Amino acid sequence: MAVLGLESIRQGDRRRLVTFLGATALLGALFLGGQVYEFASLAGDGITLTSSVFGSSFFTLTGFHGLHVLIGVVWALLTLGKGARGRYSAGDTMGVEAFGLYWHFVDVVWIVLFTIIYLI
Amino acid sequence: MTTHSAETARPAHAMRRYIVVFATLAAITLIEIGMSQAPLVASLATGLFLAFSLAKATLVVMFFMHLREDSRIYTAIFLLPVVLVLAFSTLMLMSAGGH
Repeated sequence: MAVLGLESIRQGDRRRLVTFLGATALLGALFLGGQVYEFASLAGDGITLTSSVFGSSFFTLTGFHGLHVLIGVVWALLTLGKGARGRYSAGDTMGVEAFGLYWHFVDVVWIVLFTIIYLI
Repeated sequence: MTTHSAETARPAHAMRRYIVVFATLAAITLIEIGMSQAPLVASLATGLFLAFSLAKATLVVMFFMHLREDSRIYTAIFLLPVVLVLAFSTLMLMSAGGH
């Protein structure tokens, strides 16, 4: 979604930029909601940060990732606000691109974490 | 950071390409989830999961982070840590296997 927002503003389409950044923030918030649910479920099963090596590793890795997603959601909303106010144009996309690079880097980190924690 | 030449020339193409990359990422993830439920040999499954993970990360970096349009020096900066991690992980696994 973030990259579609960037592509939209490269084409000068501010409305689609705002739409895609809104969708990005919404999906990020849904991810965080899922994490909160998962954390609560595990805590209910007695798995906490201090209960075991798995608990420490799991909550540290996914917790820090969640923190980065939260920062990304806030950044997406700030970028959305600036976009809505006309801060970006086809010739000035650096702010959107910087957010997109951050967001997709967090994405790459999740690809690795998902594989290590949930698959292997 | 990027030149954007290919994308600004054909914007509809760029949008379609991002959607194809997303669909590919989703398909690989579904295959991974399916594999995680299948009775595979652990070492084979681990190797395949790591290969799929590397493929997905490469797609995101190349297309969504536009590395393929950037200078080769950025590619080298991205690749060096990956090579180092793989080398050190292999050495650690070899070391652990010896004990």
